[in-house]
Amino acid sequence: MNEDLCLSEDQRDALQEVANIGMGQAGSALARLLDTFVALSVPRIQLVRVTELGKALADMVGSSCPVTAVRQSFQCDIRGEAIVIYGQEGTNQLWDLMGYEPADEPDAAAERELLVDVANVLVGACICNVFEQLGRSLSFSRPTVIGENVPVEYLMQPSALPWKVALLVEVNFSLRDRQFTSHLLTLMPEDSIRQMKRALDHFLASL
Amino acid sequence: MNDTLARQLPAFIVDRVDFGIFAVDADMKLLLWNRFMQFHSGRKAEEVIVRNLFECFPDLPRKWLEKKFKGVFLLKNFSFTSWEQRPYLLRFGHDRPVTGGTEFMHQDCTFMPLIGASGEVEAVCVTLFDVTDTSLMHRELERAMAALKESANRDGLTGVFNRRHLEERLAEEFARYKRYGDRFSFLLFDLDRFKSVNDRYGHLAGDAVLREAAARVSACVRKMDVFGRYGGEEFALLLPATDLPSALIVAEKVRRLIGEQPIDWEGRPIAVTASVGVNTVRPDIPSYEALIGEADRALYDAKEQGRNRSVVFKPEPG
Repeated sequence: MNEDLCLSEDQRDALQEVANIGMGQAGSALARLLDTFVALSVPRIQLVRVTELGKALADMVGSSCPVTAVRQSFQCDIRGEAIVIYGQEGTNQLWDLMGYEPADEPDAAAERELLVDVANVLVGACICNVFEQLGRSLSFSRPTVIGENVPVEYLMQPSALPWKVALLVEVNFSLRDRQFTSHLLTLMPEDSIRQMKRALDHFLASL
Repeated sequence: MNDTLARQLPAFIVDRVDFGIFAVDADMKLLLWNRFMQFHSGRKAEEVIVRNLFECFPDLPRKWLEKKFKGVFLLKNFSFTSWEQRPYLLRFGHDRPVTGGTEFMHQDCTFMPLIGASGEVEAVCVTLFDVTDTSLMHRELERAMAALKESANRDGLTGVFNRRHLEERLAEEFARYKRYGDRFSFLLFDLDRFKSVNDRYGHLAGDAVLREAAARVSACVRKMDVFGRYGGEEFALLLPATDLPSALIVAEKVRRLIGEQPIDWEGRPIAVTASVGVNTVRPDIPSYEALIGEADRALYDAKEQGRNRSVVFKPEPG
C-alpha cells in the first residue's frame, strides 16, 4: 500500500473523533426525525485494498443471507460513495416512520422508494455531520438500489472497480422499537484519501 | 459583462430555466416559484408566494412530503424523488399535446438545504425536472423487451412454445421435483404418417394440419401446462402437478382432439391421428433429458403397436 495513503496516528485519531461526534449528532437528528431511539455503533475506520473488500463486506454483514443495498455518491473536494446494506427485514417496519400512508399491499415501486428514502436519510445524516466538522458542505447524487435479495458478494465486483485502496468508514444502525438493522459503508478512493488527509491536518491545526 | 448584468443573471436563470424551481421555509411557506412552475401549475407567483405549500396544493401527499422536508431541515441533507417509484410530485399536464402517450408529466425532484448564517437550514429549494420523454422511452423499451422475449419462446409456424422454451421449463420443473418433490408428467406425441399428408396434399396442407392440430390441443390445456412444438410433426406437453393416471387421461384427450374430426384444408377433409408417449417423474430418473428419452421410447412403442394410441413408459422392474 502506498505510504502516502496511510493516515498518521494523529490523522487517524482526528478522523475517529470527527466520526464519533458526527455520528452522535446524526443519531440524535435521526431520532428527532423518526421519533424513535436510533442506536449507532462506534464507527470503524480502516484502509481496505480492493481485493479485501469482499471479505470486509462479508464480515460486516456477518451472515450468508441475501441482502438488499442502496448506493449514493457525495462530493465536495473529497468524493466518495456510501452504501447502505439492509438487514433481512429490509425497511418493512419503517413505513409509518417515513410518513407513508399505510397500504395493504405496497407495490414494488413503493417498496423501492422506501428503501432509497431510508438510505438517503441515513447517509445524509451521518456524512453531512462528519464533513461539517471538517468545514465542508456536500452535494449528493440520487440514491439507487444496487441489489435486491442478492448475495453480499454480488454488490461489488472487485475486478470492475476503478480503485485499489479506499478509506472505509462503517457504522451499524438499529432502532429500539422496530425490527430494523443496517450497515452504512462510506468508501473514499485514493485521491479522496489524500484530500481527506489534508482536511484532517487543517482540522488538527485549527484546534 | 458589466456589474448590473452580472447581478441580474442568477435571478434571470432561476426564472427562465426549463425546469421547475421552488423553495419553502420551515413553515412550508413558498418563497420562490419560477416561471416553469407558474406555467405548469397555472398559479402565478404572486398567488402562492408566502402562502403554505399544502394549502395552495391540497392534492400533495402531505404526511409523506412534510416528513421529507423535515428530513432536509433536520439533517441538512439532500433528498430526492424519482419517477420510477413516484411518477410525479405535482400533477402537471405534459407538453405533448400532439404526440401524447401519457396523461401527466413524469418528474424527478431534488430537495436541497439552504443553510443560513446560523448554520441551520433556513429553507429548502426543490428542482423539478420533466422526465416524461425518458419514462416513455423506458416504457417502450420494456414493452419491446417483453415482446422479444415472448417471440423468442414461440414456434413460428404454429404459435405454440418452441423446443427451447419447452426444455427450459422442463428443466425448471425437474429441478423443482428434485428439491421439493413436486410431481409432474410429460407427454410427447406426433402425427401419424405425417409424411404421407405432405406427399399427397403438399407442404402447405402439411403446415395447415400442424397449425390446426396445435390449435386443438392449445384450446384444452390448463394455464399452468406448457405446450409446444418439439420439432417436425412432434409436440410436447408438460403437465405440472399431474400424476400418471391423470396424465393418461390428458393423453387420450389430446389423441381424440386431433383424430376425431378430420382437419379441413381448403374444403378438403384430411384425416390425421396421433400417437402419444406418456411419462411421469420418478426418483431414479437422473435428468430431464432422460425423462424425454423415456417418453420418446413410449411414443415409439405406440407407433409399433399400431399408432393412434397412448402408451405409458414402463421402467424396467428392479
